[in-house]
Amino acid sequence: MIELKDLSLVYPNGHQGLKDVNVKIEDGEFVVIVGLSGAGKSTFIRSINRLVTPTEGELHVDGDNILNYKGRGLRKLRTKIGMIFQSYNLVKRNNVIKNVLAGRLGHTGTVRSVFNLFSKDDKALAYESLKRVNIDDKLYNRADELSGGQQQRVSIARVLTQKPKYILADEPVASLDPPTSHQVMKYLRKINKEDGITTIVNLHFIDMAMEYADRIIGMRAGEVVFDGPVSEVTEETFEEIYGRSIREDDLRGGVEEDVEQNV
Amino acid sequence: MSNKMSKPTIYDDSYAPLLSPWRVKAKITAIFLVIIIFLMFSSWRTGVDLNELIWGFTNMTQITDKLFPINMAILGPAMNTLFETIHMAIIASTFSTLIVIPVSLLAANNITTNWFVYNTTRLIMNVLRTIPDVVLAVIFVGLFGIGVFGGIVALFIFSLGILAKLISETVESADMQPVEAMRASGANTIQAIAYGVVPQVLPQFTSFSLYVFEINIRASVVIGLVGAGGIGSLLMDQFSFNNYGAVMTIIFVIFAVVIVIEYISGKIREAII
Repeated sequence: MIELKDLSLVYPNGHQGLKDVNVKIEDGEFVVIVGLSGAGKSTFIRSINRLVTPTEGELHVDGDNILNYKGRGLRKLRTKIGMIFQSYNLVKRNNVIKNVLAGRLGHTGTVRSVFNLFSKDDKALAYESLKRVNIDDKLYNRADELSGGQQQRVSIARVLTQKPKYILADEPVASLDPPTSHQVMKYLRKINKEDGITTIVNLHFIDMAMEYADRIIGMRAGEVVFDGPVSEVTEETFEEIYGRSIREDDLRGGVEEDVEQNV
Repeated sequence: MSNKMSKPTIYDDSYAPLLSPWRVKAKITAIFLVIIIFLMFSSWRTGVDLNELIWGFTNMTQITDKLFPINMAILGPAMNTLFETIHMAIIASTFSTLIVIPVSLLAANNITTNWFVYNTTRLIMNVLRTIPDVVLAVIFVGLFGIGVFGGIVALFIFSLGILAKLISETVESADMQPVEAMRASGANTIQAIAYGVVPQVLPQFTSFSLYVFEINIRASVVIGLVGAGGIGSLLMDQFSFNNYGAVMTIIFVIFAVVIVIEYISGKIREAII
């Protein structure tokens, strides 16, 4: 369970990233955070694995306030939180299997990982993860030989290999075209349902948020301005969150049937 | 005139832009003028004279007369000292390549965020690089005595300075996004560097190491002249005995070996980049 209590974050340049955020996320939920760019979506997500550190309030993960974690404790926290990035963040020169095994680094000793000595179980797990996102045939391809959608699937496999309890996805489909975006979101939702991994996704596309989320959190200027199940969300809700009327480019679009057979 | 009239006129009033703004053009012209002024000033100050250059070449025949015929008897000792030179270069290159790994990480601002450590490492490396190889050789031959050992230490310091600069800059240009991903998954700093940065810099690292090995072969000849062992010392000895035939043989041997090593290492570098 993740619980944010009166959480605020002011960046050194004075920008307020988060402002008195109070959110409780139960295990197994699929939460989508929506908001314009700069609304604090990234700051929200990055606070949970402490890529940024909130300046006020409390942030509990599994009952522990994580804000004073450092060193080994912080790394331990991070091993149970997987993260997916907008730009995939793979080592482009490395092949797919090596990139996926990077998810085991937090569970592997320093010396062993420097010499790429991963256990047989780890390698089997990495291969299994690749199979789950249907990219096991690209095992030995270099990451930079893959398309954007394939790279994002490799990064999902990397997170699966980490065996996390939570998955954070920071704009995972912002660099992808509509069909591939749906494919990636379907994988994320499938993993959430099958493994019960709590998943928090940042999106700025309204239609995608509506399609995949169980619950939507709306943010504006660092504040949570909406928090509720998808069933309660209407177009007015989004206009409220965005502070303006909905436009064409707030929608991702893309026909769902096209990608159905690929998943 | 009539010809001009008959031409299509659609572009007549249109604006044809310069390829670069006039400010840029003026700047480039100014830079060229400054360079020419510097060139003229320094040739006037140093008294460089084209006549002298041409007259100097007439002395060439005197030297070539002495250098030929070449003395093949020196070939045996030349080969022995040549291997000594190559050994010096190999040992110095290997050690500098190993030591430069931590040094270049400390001298890369995307890895070393501590301002003091970063700048101190940079400063030490910059100071090392300003010392010419011959001066290093004189210092270490003075410390360790005439022979190969002083030469190796001199070459080691010399190549460490070059490698630290080249490799720390390669590390600085590495993509840090995978490192962020690894840190976010609980990897420690060493793991994130070994797994996220090293694969990115490895091809350049290998290439620069081979390049430094090439430089070391040539530099080891030069520092041999001041008593740091190897074929350079043999060359100096033969010079002082006015044994020019032998000098020419040694020059040919060095020439051949430099060409061969540069060819091989060039091929290897082509293959990995």
